[in-house]
Amino acid sequence: MAFMISLIILLFLSTIQSVMPYFVKRTVVFGVSVPEQHIQDERIRAYKKQYTMLTIAVSFFMILIYSAWAAFKQPSDEAVIFIGTIIEFIIIFISLALFYYYRGKMKQYKRAEKWAQQLKQVAAADLTVHSEDSLPPWYIYLLPMIVTAGLMGYTIYQYDLLPQQIPTHWGLSGEPDAFTEKTPFTAIQMLLFLLLLQLMFLGIQLGMKFSGIKLSATNLSASKNRQLALRKSTSWFSFYTVLLITMLFSYFQLTTIHPDLFNYSLLKALIPFGVMFLILAGTAILMVIVGRSDKYPSESMEEGLMDASDDKYWKAGLFYFNKNDPSIFVEKRFGVGWTINFANPVGYLIIFGPLILILLIAFLFQW
Amino acid sequence: MIIRIEPESEVPIYMQLTNQIIEGIAKGAIHPGDALPSVRTLAADLGINMHTVNKSYHELEKKGIIEIVPKSGAVIKGHSHIEQSSYNRIYNMLKPQIAEGMVLGMTKDEILNLVEEIVNEIKKT
Repeated sequence: MAFMISLIILLFLSTIQSVMPYFVKRTVVFGVSVPEQHIQDERIRAYKKQYTMLTIAVSFFMILIYSAWAAFKQPSDEAVIFIGTIIEFIIIFISLALFYYYRGKMKQYKRAEKWAQQLKQVAAADLTVHSEDSLPPWYIYLLPMIVTAGLMGYTIYQYDLLPQQIPTHWGLSGEPDAFTEKTPFTAIQMLLFLLLLQLMFLGIQLGMKFSGIKLSATNLSASKNRQLALRKSTSWFSFYTVLLITMLFSYFQLTTIHPDLFNYSLLKALIPFGVMFLILAGTAILMVIVGRSDKYPSESMEEGLMDASDDKYWKAGLFYFNKNDPSIFVEKRFGVGWTINFANPVGYLIIFGPLILILLIAFLFQW
Repeated sequence: MIIRIEPESEVPIYMQLTNQIIEGIAKGAIHPGDALPSVRTLAADLGINMHTVNKSYHELEKKGIIEIVPKSGAVIKGHSHIEQSSYNRIYNMLKPQIAEGMVLGMTKDEILNLVEEIVNEIKKT
């Protein structure tokens, strides 16, 4: 079972890493912006293909070794998960190394071709595009938050029913495997973390609203399509993830209070794999929806233009740092989704605030 | 309506923005009563500083082209006839340009044609 889980995650991860160049924004190749006129250049297509082939080969090789090891050595579940995680990091590391290798090649190619000198750089915005932006309203997040608050109340109310040892960690089978002393705080600790997590997602949703809709001057309709698809899909996907995590945590909390509650229910068999599977499936769907949103052929475009190059704001090709831009989040350059504008402190607050609070609480109440 | 900014141009960005919004209204791409996006929104969309957009909006307000209304933001004003002060401003702005044209050899008819050509170009589409 542990091996199957690791294998699914590894296959999923390697597939995503390998096909990534085909799902990113059309005018950015390995973190280097390319004029619309040149995205189909022979050389660029070859680089993308080589990256994909190499990543597939390396991942396949790693997974093969991992499977052989698991089959012959019959290691314990913990060892399988641990080594599986290491293999995940190796695959990520190697694909990142390949990314930087081809990024270097792309930069060389771009310099040699002198696109920036030949074309006029233009940044574009649509004054009315925000009326087409359909993000879910922020208050839908109240629903999972109310559930969490309700469960907290219920836990306090049923405090006497709780066991003397409160679970703090659950194994693969959904059975608790680490515990802590029962106090009014540890009883609701997990729900408190859940609430902070929900707040973080709400913050991300609000931050998205205050982030620019960046259009490509050379391909207005495709870039608009992608930006709107990205905003809509990622915000709904975030909400979907929050609902799933809320369900998972609620399940754990309820089984702690009433150990026999779900004994004969399908839920017991489905959690937590069901949640993991649903999140992976959601990620894949999100990638396809957003990745395809700007890939159909463009309408006629003006000659001699290219998008204002913002390469200089992308540190190491992956980290956006632009003091002028009031956006909190911007679209990722290598991947489907968002990254924070590292020059805007609000982004740090939304992402790291709740995480630091969670760590702080976990740390302070250890004693 | 689409705004196009050239960050490398010699014309300052706020001026490019102002000119394009004015032209957009003249063309009929945006209409009196429409609200412009908030300073923050437009700056985030273009990835430029909020002060730049703010400066442009203030200039538009000074010219009497938009009105900053609390809650609705920057709203485009409608004008049925030109006010004397605006007329004087445009008069003074054009005078040196027309003089330059005359010095460089334009006749009165050529200047009138030029004005007509520009008006037609803006009205087109």
